[in-house]
Amino acid sequence: MIKLERTATLLSPHSWQLLPLRFHRLDADSVVLTSMVGEHEFVTPDELDAVVDGTCTDQELLARLRAVHLIQLPGERLPAELLAIKLRTRMRRLPDSTGLHIFVVTLRCEHTCRYCQVSRQPTAKNEFDMTEQTARQALELAFMSPSPHIKIEFQGGEPLLNFPLIRWITTEAKRMNKEHGKDLAFVIATNLALLDEEILDFCAAEDIYLSTSLDGPADLHNGNRRRPGQNSWDQAVAGIRLAQERLGMHKVSALVTTTAASLNRAAEIVDLYAELGLRGVFLRPISPYGFALRRRGGADYEVSQWLEFYEAGLDRVEELCSQGVPMMEIYASIIAKKMLSNTDPGYVDLTSPAGIGIGALVYNYDGDVYASDEGRMLAEMSDRTFRLGNVHDSSYADIMLSDSLLDPLMESVTLSAPMCSTCAFEPYCGADPVFHHTTAGNFLGHKALSAFCQRNMGVFTLLLRKMRDDPYFLDLMRQWAQ
Amino acid sequence: MSVESGVPVPGTEASTGESTAEVTLTFDQAAVDLDALQRSAYALAAELTADIRVRGGDYVCTLFRRRQDLTDDELKHRFRAEVNDQVLRARIARETEPLRNLVFALAFSRTGLSEAGETA
Repeated sequence: MIKLERTATLLSPHSWQLLPLRFHRLDADSVVLTSMVGEHEFVTPDELDAVVDGTCTDQELLARLRAVHLIQLPGERLPAELLAIKLRTRMRRLPDSTGLHIFVVTLRCEHTCRYCQVSRQPTAKNEFDMTEQTARQALELAFMSPSPHIKIEFQGGEPLLNFPLIRWITTEAKRMNKEHGKDLAFVIATNLALLDEEILDFCAAEDIYLSTSLDGPADLHNGNRRRPGQNSWDQAVAGIRLAQERLGMHKVSALVTTTAASLNRAAEIVDLYAELGLRGVFLRPISPYGFALRRRGGADYEVSQWLEFYEAGLDRVEELCSQGVPMMEIYASIIAKKMLSNTDPGYVDLTSPAGIGIGALVYNYDGDVYASDEGRMLAEMSDRTFRLGNVHDSSYADIMLSDSLLDPLMESVTLSAPMCSTCAFEPYCGADPVFHHTTAGNFLGHKALSAFCQRNMGVFTLLLRKMRDDPYFLDLMRQWAQ
Repeated sequence: MSVESGVPVPGTEASTGESTAEVTLTFDQAAVDLDALQRSAYALAAELTADIRVRGGDYVCTLFRRRQDLTDDELKHRFRAEVNDQVLRARIARETEPLRNLVFALAFSRTGLSEAGETA
């Protein structure tokens, strides 16, 4: 009988090579090491020094580091090839270019939200509606994208105030797609106040998703989202329930916008989402654009306060999951994919090159094309930096090769940005030239002074610490990464 | 600590009190690259600004606090710790640069992006 013995490769001091790695000190006793593609391992500060100096004798640690391509044996070829394959996989969306096409079908809105990012108009002013002619030109551009997946998102104002155009665009896009053969999807971003049987029938027939805003319990939501009758919350909750019943539970999702009044109410917000059967809650900070900036519409809190809110909300999500309630925090789930898988979810705020233009294009009601929704909001404040052209007089090449798009893309790439290029979290993070243009006056920003950097560093370190210390949370993140 | 370990050796240090307007740290040029000092000052821009001068064989870093809640000692520790990390980062980057370039070359070959270079 032949006896097979499994022989482990024992590494003697100075017998390994470092692979490209970056590190971040999580706390006094713990450092996280990340590879070029975001795989990671936790070590102590002494272990980091020993690994770099070649004096480490902990075979179990060295084996773990080899497994995630942080070290290799001299002359090995496979780790570099695997890293290259994973890198290509993470960037596979880039050649596809723009998948999300946002149609601002009207600026009219019947809400007057405190933090509204857009320039809303009274409901009677039809001159702020997109026309069929403009929509047709926008569709022509959208279908020129090489992406095999085209998602058309209807925004406003309140897009349901121009429902006839939504109906027209959907029908026309499907007709055009017979020639193009794209994977075509539709989303209406709506406050649901105007949802009725006709709209629901149409959404059911055309397989349209609904995305809405729900800031939390009624007093909190209505305080932020004002409308005649002060019944925004009632309308939103009724609309969510109706849409779930008619379209299916997965066909409606909701977003939270965090104002100062939300900060101590994270658990209540998460509980409401769970109560409504919403499987995901997206605990977003308020954006520094549009009316939110001009009027300080509830944005008067520090990043550190939002991080405390976020952690409390995440803890509540975890608690509910442990009780058998299916729930996820959407931002954490996006980052989970980046930390624990080789796929990049393509979330436009966390990609590099940035997601502007090549991740999403915005067609305003008047035909102007913007690199992002935030870019459109800036234009409403007279800053047209991110206007790429107009559907009536710009070609696809004019728009995609415009300096207004290429300059911010090139100037903000994280792999060459100061601090970002050596940051352990670079594989998880992204470039946000619109945010930094708004807050710092240039596309790159100074990351040591950037709220974007502070917020994301805070989230990454929180998630890593929880994964390190809490096996159940690590399991959750693995599920969310699927 | 040795230069090889990537840890700089602070020379003399001077401060004028517990929480003064400015704090001075001195680094031996044989142990620390100017690049590491500049990167440290950049990374800590929310907490301090730095004036870096050459004196003899030393870099003299005068630190000006932006956050008033940091004591002189905390400011010095923050800067020294950051410099240590920047030196270590530079060392890792230097040692792994050929492999990093290899990974990028493997990842982006056959994408069309490198054709111009290949035919040149």
